[in-house]
Amino acid sequence: MTVARETKTGTARPPFWRDVKVLRIVAQLVAGAGSVALLWYLGSNLTTNLTAQGISTDFGFLDQPAGVTVPGSDFRSSQPISDILVLGIKNTFALVIVGIPLLTILGTLIGIGRLSSNWLVRKAATAYVETLRNIPPLLVIIFTNTAVILASLPRIQEAWQPFDLFVLSNRELAVPWFTAGDGSGAYLGVLAAGVVASIAVWIWRTRQFDATGTPHHRFFWGTGVFLLFAVVGFFVIGNPYSLSRPELEGLVITGGISNISAYFAVLLALVIYTASHVAEIVRGSIQAVAKGQTEAANALALSSFQRLRFVVLPQAFRIAIPPLINQFLNFTKNSSLAIAIGYSEITLVVFQAIGNGQPAPQLIIILMGAYLLFSLSISLLINILNRRLQLVTN
Amino acid sequence: MIKRLLLLVVVLAMVATACGGDGAEEESTTTTAADGGSQVAAEGILKTVQDRGVLNCGVNQEVFGFGFVDADGNFVGFDIDYCKAVAAAVLGDADAVEYKALTAQQRFTALQSGEIDVLIRNTTWTATRDGGEGATFLTTTFYDGQGMMVNSDSGYTTLEDMANTTVCVQSGTTTELNLAARFESGGIPFTALTFDSNDELRPAFVAGQCDGWTSDKSQLAAFRSQNPPADGGPEAWTILDETFSKEPLGPLVRDGDSQWAQVVDWVVYATIQAEEFGLDSGNINSYSGDNAEIKRFLGQPNEEGTIFDPGLGLPTDFAVMVIDAVGNYEEIYNRNVGPDTALGLARGVNDLWTRGGLLYAPPYR
Repeated sequence: MTVARETKTGTARPPFWRDVKVLRIVAQLVAGAGSVALLWYLGSNLTTNLTAQGISTDFGFLDQPAGVTVPGSDFRSSQPISDILVLGIKNTFALVIVGIPLLTILGTLIGIGRLSSNWLVRKAATAYVETLRNIPPLLVIIFTNTAVILASLPRIQEAWQPFDLFVLSNRELAVPWFTAGDGSGAYLGVLAAGVVASIAVWIWRTRQFDATGTPHHRFFWGTGVFLLFAVVGFFVIGNPYSLSRPELEGLVITGGISNISAYFAVLLALVIYTASHVAEIVRGSIQAVAKGQTEAANALALSSFQRLRFVVLPQAFRIAIPPLINQFLNFTKNSSLAIAIGYSEITLVVFQAIGNGQPAPQLIIILMGAYLLFSLSISLLINILNRRLQLVTN
Repeated sequence: MIKRLLLLVVVLAMVATACGGDGAEEESTTTTAADGGSQVAAEGILKTVQDRGVLNCGVNQEVFGFGFVDADGNFVGFDIDYCKAVAAAVLGDADAVEYKALTAQQRFTALQSGEIDVLIRNTTWTATRDGGEGATFLTTTFYDGQGMMVNSDSGYTTLEDMANTTVCVQSGTTTELNLAARFESGGIPFTALTFDSNDELRPAFVAGQCDGWTSDKSQLAAFRSQNPPADGGPEAWTILDETFSKEPLGPLVRDGDSQWAQVVDWVVYATIQAEEFGLDSGNINSYSGDNAEIKRFLGQPNEEGTIFDPGLGLPTDFAVMVIDAVGNYEEIYNRNVGPDTALGLARGVNDLWTRGGLLYAPPYR
């Protein structure tokens, strides 16, 4: 039968208007052309109507002075709008880069807690997930801002300064940070060399383990080598970095690293909110690992930590990664809610500019482009990781 | 989030305006485009509003005295009264108004897209807004200026005292721009915390997150008067003397329909002219004098029995309907923001030109 069909298609193809192969390509082309035409039609309508109303449709406004300042930065109002947009993207990035690792760790811990054999831990984790997952993130942000920042922290005039290491107030929060001294560039070079060396040691230990079966302890070896470089380099170069403590002088915090309290309110709110979703993903992924795997680990007399660390979690994460990407993207997109409490991320900056008389359509397009950039970059990074972790099945 | 969504919808609506085939607004847009933007379309906003039977008025809902929702859920205030005045003149019914509460950031997009017919939302007239927002600013109804409010026990008496302070300001406002300009030119280091709405700004100011709250002085007076005793009452807050900007507030309409602009303009003039003539909501219906100017203004027939019609597209007795519904300028002012209200604002420059103020209506003839 297969042979018969092959000979049939081979000898006498149907006419092109009935040829599925041709029709498929034509359908694709028609759909594509239709979409382009629709977009072009809408775009030209927008341009015509805006021009008729005397509203500019170009991007020349980007060179105009922004006219406003940005809290937590030394942005001056005479700088152009393009600069303030870049600053907005940086501020969004500052949320994402700190938030995603935090929410992953917190979510994983709570997800594991959901499956704990300890009644209290299990119920507490369930309560956490069921509460936070069912509250809109905007409310969580407003709650952390009003209850945690505004109501719990003192004014900057009476800021808490525990151990003289931190400055905590409802206006700004500051923690100690490193300041570069002489030879800091050289020290960074030494640290980079340390990273290279520890990777080399890691690979060597892994090969050793594969060849002989002796325990590799590659984590301890790798960290040890890096720390060796870090410590020896520090003393050889002679204090390339020193710790700077934040100090409060009047209303100004000098030294350390500080940010406005709205940043911490948004960060805290979105981390605990998104972690509740991540916890469910982690729990589901752990339960999706075949029961036989756990039983096999028990049969090998692995401790419960070893069972989780070496058998269950590696397989669970493989299942968890695709839905995790969604949560990371949600975190990024929800960061736009920071506009409610005045953290100058990209959305606030764009709407500020629109309110100050700059054209809305162009700015909204820029805003959409910025979020697309964030989302696609995160997807790309995690998809690479995903591909590396996938089970090799050939 | 809702606000952002709304704005997006509005932008999309602008796109869709040209695709759809109904409504008179886009007809006017296309006609204007074809005529090079110089001519008024046959079917303007005035006709659209009259056909619809209701005026869409963009307003504030957060500023006591100007645009505010009272305990019964009604919009009240100085700006609201002007919405009613326009509705009374155009539709003969001061209550035929659909109020659209807008944030500072949404207002211009709402106006451009035709969601509202007129924007009366304490909006400052500036060159960029006139030029770039596709809006036409009309007669100023309230001459204001920017001020700074601080805690009474903070010890600040001038802006120069406020070095290194944090100032709360509503985003997308002229006050935000003036703040940066004033402090930077004065060499005063400061931080500006911007908020989407005053509802979120207020708790930040109360908690001491910012040292100062800057806005139009009338708005600051409004918020100060509404400070509850739990937060120390009005006395806990002080408005500094310095006024560091000009903030002429008034109604504005979309560019490209001069007939509609004239209608709104003359409604405002009517309230000013009525005060100048000494007419108010109490006596306007019973005027029986023989002052020719007043008779013309009220649309009463002259000796020959003819009624003056300036051709604004309004009923000849529109002034009577406006004053009957909301009163003259003085009544509107005193009812909402005047000395006997919680705001307690003196007339100041918002007085008739005959008394040394800035209010001046062109002759109605």
